[in-house]
Amino acid sequence: MSATIDVADAIGTLTHSTFKRAVDENIGPVAVEFMSYGCGHCAELEPVLQEAAELLKSEVACYRVNVAVEHGLAAEYRITGTPTIVMFAQGAEAGRVEGSAPQLAALVAAIRGPFESQHD
Amino acid sequence: MTEVQSVGVAADTKPILLYNDECAVCRHIGEWVRRVSTNAAGETRLLGRPIGDDPAVLRLLNPHLTIWDAYATIHLVMPDGSMKLGGEAVAEVLRRLPATRGFARCFSVRIFGWRPCQSLLNLAYLILADSRPIFGCESCGTTAAWVRPFVWLGKRLRSRDVTARPPA
Repeated sequence: MSATIDVADAIGTLTHSTFKRAVDENIGPVAVEFMSYGCGHCAELEPVLQEAAELLKSEVACYRVNVAVEHGLAAEYRITGTPTIVMFAQGAEAGRVEGSAPQLAALVAAIRGPFESQHD
Repeated sequence: MTEVQSVGVAADTKPILLYNDECAVCRHIGEWVRRVSTNAAGETRLLGRPIGDDPAVLRLLNPHLTIWDAYATIHLVMPDGSMKLGGEAVAEVLRRLPATRGFARCFSVRIFGWRPCQSLLNLAYLILADSRPIFGCESCGTTAAWVRPFVWLGKRLRSRDVTARPPA
């Protein structure tokens, strides 16, 4: 039932006004979780994603977008369910994963995957 | 379910019931509480408020209250900033509603330090919280194993109901 997490937040929150600068104009790898606070699967993913964001902080900038508020961004990126993590490289979508991934290793691999395949 | 210690932050002059507005079951219960807690003169004994989407707003009520916890378990924020959770929150709400105040005294009855009615209420709360997906809640996360057959049955019955209905 409970998904208690530490108050420290390794994931920044983006809105429609901050999205462009953080993602579109960022030349480095970016991962954006489209989520909502009322989504139980997002709550299950949250502690694992916090760990992944902490682990990847030197490689990938991790953010969240609350689709319950940011309807425009959810429509623009065709988000049909939460959580959905979209990976961006140089402002363009490089890949996405949908659904909860409760294992840290699987989540880290899923986030890294699209960026590594771009280097190959 | 526990009572969280006060941190000295005044929430309001009345307790605030935080409920998940994205879950139909929680929304109905929250709206019912709001309705019955208001008397004919428009005075309310407690406030009902959807949890919303802003973690910072909840931290103003109590710095230890995270938005994830608020969605995971029902919270009642008391005027002194302390919080009651789960079955304890339900008991406190029932104590404050005019229609259920008398009945709710049973939750304080102790037998050798044990509160049998409160324990039953805690169990009932857990069962209701787990069984929300049966009633169509899609925002309640992974369904508990014991609930899955009922969810499956509910979906079957709903789809049969839709297909059996003649076209308008």
